[in-house]
Amino acid sequence: MTQPLLFDRIDEPGLNTLPVYERRGGYGALRKALAMPPEAIIEEIKQSAIRGRGGAGFQMGMKASFLPKGEMAKYLVCNADESEPGTFKDRELMQKSPHTLIEGMIITTYATGIHHAFIYIRGEYQLQADILDAAVAEAEAAGYLGENILGSGHSLRLVVHRGAGAYICGEETGLLDSLEGKRGNPRLKPPFPAIEGLYHGPTLVNNVETLGTVPTIINMGGAEYAKIGAPGSTGTKLISVSGDVQRPGNYEIELGTSSREIIYGLCGGPKPGRTVKMWFPGGSSSPVLLEQDLDLAYDFDTLAKAGSMLGSGAIIVVDDSHSAFEVMQKVVKFYAHESCGKCVPCREGTNWTHKFLARIASGEATPMDLDILASVQTQIIGNCLCVLGDAMAMPVGSIVAKFRDELEAEIEAARERANAMPAVETEHLVAIGAH
Amino acid sequence: MPRPEQKIIKLTIDGREVEAVEGSMLVDAAKAADVEIPYFCYEPKLGQPVGACRMCLVEIEGIPKLQTSCSTPVRDGMVVNTQAARVKDAQNSIVEFLLVNHPLDCPVCDKGGECPLQDITFGWGKGRSRVIEPKRHFVKPLALSPLIAIDRERCILCYRCVRFSQEIAEDWQLIFTERGSHTFVGTHDGHPYVAPFSGNIIELCPVGALTSQPYRFRARPWDIEGAGGICTLCPSQCNVEFTVRDDKVLRVLSRENPAVDDGWLCDKGRFAYQSIHVDERITTPLLRDESGELRPVPWDDALRAAGAIAEHRGRAAALVGGQATNEEAFLLGRIVREGLESRDIDSRLSPAVRPGDATVELDLARALAAPALQATVADLEFAHTVLVVGTEPLDDSPILDLRIRKGVRRHGVQLLIATERPSALDPNAAFSVRYAPRRGAAFLADLDGALAGGAASPEAAQLANLLRGGGEEVVILWGEALGAEALPALLSVADRLGLAGRAGAGLLEVPSGANGRGIREAGALPNAGPGYSEVTAGRSAAEIATAAAAGDVTALYLFQVDPVRELPGRGTWERALARAELVVAHAAVLTEGIAAHATVVFPAESHAEKEGTIVHPDGRVQRLRSAIKRPNHVRAGWQVLTDIARAVGVDLHVLTAGMAFRRLVEAVPFYEGLTLEAIGGRGVRWPETDAASALPAARTSPPTPPAPAAPLAAPSNGRLHAGVYRSIWASPEVDVSPSLQFTVAEQLVELSPQDAAALGIEHGAPVQVAQNGTRLSGRAAIRTGVPAGTLFLAAGIARDSANALTDDVVEVAKG
Amino acid sequence: MSAIDRRPPVRRYEHGSRVPGWDDAVDLTKPPATVPDPATTPVPEELRRAIEAEMAKYPDARSASIPALHLAQRHHGWCSPEAIQQVACVMRLTPAYLTSVASFYDMFALQPKPRHDVYVCTNISCSLLGADEFYDAMCHAAEGHGDIGVRGFECLGACDIGPMASVNGEYVGPLDLDDARLIVEDIEAGRPVLEHKQLRRRAVADAHGRVEGFDGIAPVGQEDAVAGSPVSGPVNPEETP
Repeated sequence: MTQPLLFDRIDEPGLNTLPVYERRGGYGALRKALAMPPEAIIEEIKQSAIRGRGGAGFQMGMKASFLPKGEMAKYLVCNADESEPGTFKDRELMQKSPHTLIEGMIITTYATGIHHAFIYIRGEYQLQADILDAAVAEAEAAGYLGENILGSGHSLRLVVHRGAGAYICGEETGLLDSLEGKRGNPRLKPPFPAIEGLYHGPTLVNNVETLGTVPTIINMGGAEYAKIGAPGSTGTKLISVSGDVQRPGNYEIELGTSSREIIYGLCGGPKPGRTVKMWFPGGSSSPVLLEQDLDLAYDFDTLAKAGSMLGSGAIIVVDDSHSAFEVMQKVVKFYAHESCGKCVPCREGTNWTHKFLARIASGEATPMDLDILASVQTQIIGNCLCVLGDAMAMPVGSIVAKFRDELEAEIEAARERANAMPAVETEHLVAIGAH
Repeated sequence: MPRPEQKIIKLTIDGREVEAVEGSMLVDAAKAADVEIPYFCYEPKLGQPVGACRMCLVEIEGIPKLQTSCSTPVRDGMVVNTQAARVKDAQNSIVEFLLVNHPLDCPVCDKGGECPLQDITFGWGKGRSRVIEPKRHFVKPLALSPLIAIDRERCILCYRCVRFSQEIAEDWQLIFTERGSHTFVGTHDGHPYVAPFSGNIIELCPVGALTSQPYRFRARPWDIEGAGGICTLCPSQCNVEFTVRDDKVLRVLSRENPAVDDGWLCDKGRFAYQSIHVDERITTPLLRDESGELRPVPWDDALRAAGAIAEHRGRAAALVGGQATNEEAFLLGRIVREGLESRDIDSRLSPAVRPGDATVELDLARALAAPALQATVADLEFAHTVLVVGTEPLDDSPILDLRIRKGVRRHGVQLLIATERPSALDPNAAFSVRYAPRRGAAFLADLDGALAGGAASPEAAQLANLLRGGGEEVVILWGEALGAEALPALLSVADRLGLAGRAGAGLLEVPSGANGRGIREAGALPNAGPGYSEVTAGRSAAEIATAAAAGDVTALYLFQVDPVRELPGRGTWERALARAELVVAHAAVLTEGIAAHATVVFPAESHAEKEGTIVHPDGRVQRLRSAIKRPNHVRAGWQVLTDIARAVGVDLHVLTAGMAFRRLVEAVPFYEGLTLEAIGGRGVRWPETDAASALPAARTSPPTPPAPAAPLAAPSNGRLHAGVYRSIWASPEVDVSPSLQFTVAEQLVELSPQDAAALGIEHGAPVQVAQNGTRLSGRAAIRTGVPAGTLFLAAGIARDSANALTDDVVEVAKG
Repeated sequence: MSAIDRRPPVRRYEHGSRVPGWDDAVDLTKPPATVPDPATTPVPEELRRAIEAEMAKYPDARSASIPALHLAQRHHGWCSPEAIQQVACVMRLTPAYLTSVASFYDMFALQPKPRHDVYVCTNISCSLLGADEFYDAMCHAAEGHGDIGVRGFECLGACDIGPMASVNGEYVGPLDLDDARLIVEDIEAGRPVLEHKQLRRRAVADAHGRVEGFDGIAPVGQEDAVAGSPVSGPVNPEETP
């Protein structure tokens, strides 16, 4: 990659403050945008073909154009509830260059005629929320936010809203309910938020990185931006790499880079002597891929074709020192803990799967039970209100399919251990959540 | 907001072309076409679908994923498959998932046999489960309230009960807590779910998780029968289904009628059925013997003793309580007017109207009953603006409280409230205004002046502005408690807003008695005969009291009313009853006035036993039918009245309940053409019939409203203006229902925070209220919203009732 | 030890349920919990003002329920029934509504909790690097320190410093087992926690992001790159070792 767009010298001291950001040309894109007709901005975003960076990968320009035109109570909500295990890219951007996000949001609201915007940031990100609060105050004082921004006639009120710890609030409709002060239960779709979202008004919900890229798109032009990356996956992408790699962290890559290049080239691969056993290409809800898949290009369509997904761009690498069962347990425990409980297949499916694994662990299962386990996952997929149930069922299904032999051996070993031990307390293995 | 228009479209379900209303939910359209799609969480009464149970997934052509048919509106040309293999798989899966934790304790579950989960598991499940993991086990059942038991093992988290609490009753007391599979239904910090409509969640629960404490284990579905009826415990006249086993009412369920109750019941209607089968119920005639004791006697003795009223010709008077049917009121009216040659009969029995207050002139009564001016219950939901004046729907007609909330919530109705006491609906209102107790007439005159563009108080002016700018369809819900004096101004306001003849607009009265409207139409008024026909005016209730106390009236016929318990001027009534030589009463329980003073007591029928008709406040004639046999020696009210009529020399030509109805229809011109068959289970609104024009028009235009009176001077020295309220629970039926004992109304003295502070009275502390030597004890309830200088006292209750008061001002002190 | 036996300890309740509350009946002597009347519900003035300021930020004041619960939890130490009652009074909501909301989110405590929060991430990336062992060590280190509450937590969004923990909101990592003791010491001494491992001072992993003179902490495995030879300007990933 030749030119980083978001991470370029992001460690520069003071970049989180307005003077440094402005010195580096910050808010130039806003000035440029305010001189353009709003439709032209949408057009640029459409031309950039940028796909949502939060997980679903829906084209942002398309999403924005679904919003009804005209004056009405419309809202922009920035999804900063970064909670998908393995994902921590938005955190870096918000902490080090909050004005990039704010500028992107102002441009987006100008383009869509929105006057109320929110950043829904997960409650655990206290440092980043404080930094955003300070940045919003700076931007207000400098006239980038508030009434009649830079004399353009556009007004915007931006509120940083802190969550309180619930993965499901990263789902856009769960987020909207939470932002309305309710339990963060996802809503039925349709209506989609673009038609009826926050406070029943049309609402555009975008990820931090997506909105943070908007100033870049305005600066370089949508068509130019679209030249970066791979077909169908334009631009650069912030990725978070974690787990068994030697240099975990956030990287900005050009979409289409080889996965091996990321895992081994950028991150140094697993510790010497270890090999990649499996990897999650897009957060813990993506079906796992194997060593043999490392040469796949890292972009939306290639990963989808390979039966997985790019998701939030979070790569979790598991080396051969870990058992597949252990990984599966962690995944299941997480989703069972985070299921909101609204719909039956997710609530009961995650809970049943969790009990199931506990039964395996206590040596009470037989290898044939893996068929039931796999079947339970297919019963979840496609039947839930939102994607959380699928988010467990897909990786679990893929682990069962790809590590069947190992899991069978694990089950047999557990049975032997159980037989060797005096009667174990097997009562209620409903150990969801270790707190 | 006007009602939406309905357009019919065509779609294909399982290969069959069917018609449906555009925008209706697929699951309903399918049901109408005889295709059953199973579901748990869907309940259109609860508002928007939540799509939580996922039981109703179907395949729709052109959409890759299965869709929930409860949340998918039908579109023209839609092709739906409910029988596809993957639909079956999804249904099997959901049933299996639901049974991961649901216990299979159906044999000992109260819901067994009438349980949707049971039915759907049989109909749509695989028949076997692969779950061998242990299920959750908890203590069960637990109390959720004195009325409701909760079994959390059985709960499938379908959202119905919490949605009811949050979106229908809007009491927000019942909640989901925790998350995921730990989610459970509960309340805040162990507080019970006590709210006026809580019982509806029992009926909504699709499993045996919420059960009725009084009904638990009383019967199995195959032991019982359902019998349609009407609840006559308040003017809402909700349609109900009595669950009957061995001629006993064991339960009351809602019989949904969107024109009346929307499918909800209040807890009084749902649980006070217990008063039908309690020991306190009078089931034989009683006669006072020489020692002054009321003793059971054979019917002949009782009828003979009551027949002695013939000796009081010209000096007898009658009161008709709100639970009387039209027929009973009509027959009693004839007894009084023809047999007893008296003109003194009244049914306007408001707890707020005191001796000395004006009576309603016949012309006013006719004008207010005019068909063109009548709003319906459904209009409350679709109007542009609803003005509530002089009534607290929650207490006076509870189900209307839910209807008004629904209108505001779903259809954006602008709600305006003008009352003396803070209203439960205030948080939903666009504007609320308080006037001084018993000054409703003055306030309406003020409002009328404001609408006319004249000088007015700022509150009246603002209300007038909101009314004028609030759309064409305005419904004014007003209470009989406003008093006669307020009615000219009310009519004038309606006139200025042009409500007459406008569809979806009009007036809707909340009478004090359940069948207040029908009883008046049947002629139980001092100044009107059947059908508001002209008669020589007699004494009103308050005048009867005074006359009887003075010895001018010597015999009283109290039809299902105890004036000592229910009417203001308690002292006068006590003197009146004590002085009367003969007091004949029809009563179901012995309330204090009847117990102390009645000469003869006939056992009254309950609403589950009566045959007859009643009229809803919006003019809907509804039919009461016997759900159970009358217990013991109870006889039908019409039958007793015909016997009394014979004793006073009148032949009513009534041998059956049906004949009584026919005599009534003959006497009331605007009922012409009504038949019991036509009334059926849903009722007929007579103002919509051709005969409606037979209602006599007012001879003169309504009198000009009086000029607004000067505002009340603020009383001082611990003296406060007193208003009265009658709680939903203030009823003899509640007093004797075992499960409702926790609600039995006591004297709660509602004080403003300012006055409470000034008087050093703390919330919940005992207080004494005194006036002219009368002293009441109560507990202080400090309530923000009570205007300073004012307090409110409970009326219609058994002890320390505000009925004893005779003046507007009381003294309050710590007690 | 096999991976299978490394299940985190689970709190068990006598009645076999993991969830407090399921076995609770209501107290029939209590009145129904309706919207608290301001006349009978005292609210500390400073809390009231802070909640009202939050309410003013939103087109619909109810949106402030989570910020208000954060404020009340800070004020009362946990979301006690009294705290919830006070929020309900200011926001004109029922206490049940707020209980329902609070119990949905992991950061609200509906039971009394210690003053200091140590959230140890036990999710997948951190656990691959030994988070479960660290969690055990942390629990052990905090034993006898009643004001320190240790909780296993789901992914906190800092897998780059795994195994990691959030100590009173301050992210620290990568942690080794000795750090558990140091965290306790720092908390008890009122010092900033593990200053040399705080996320706030950490450089980005991507070489493009680095600048000369960054005085923070280098990412794992790149200590040399920052401390030794500062990277200047964009670097082609191909050139990264």
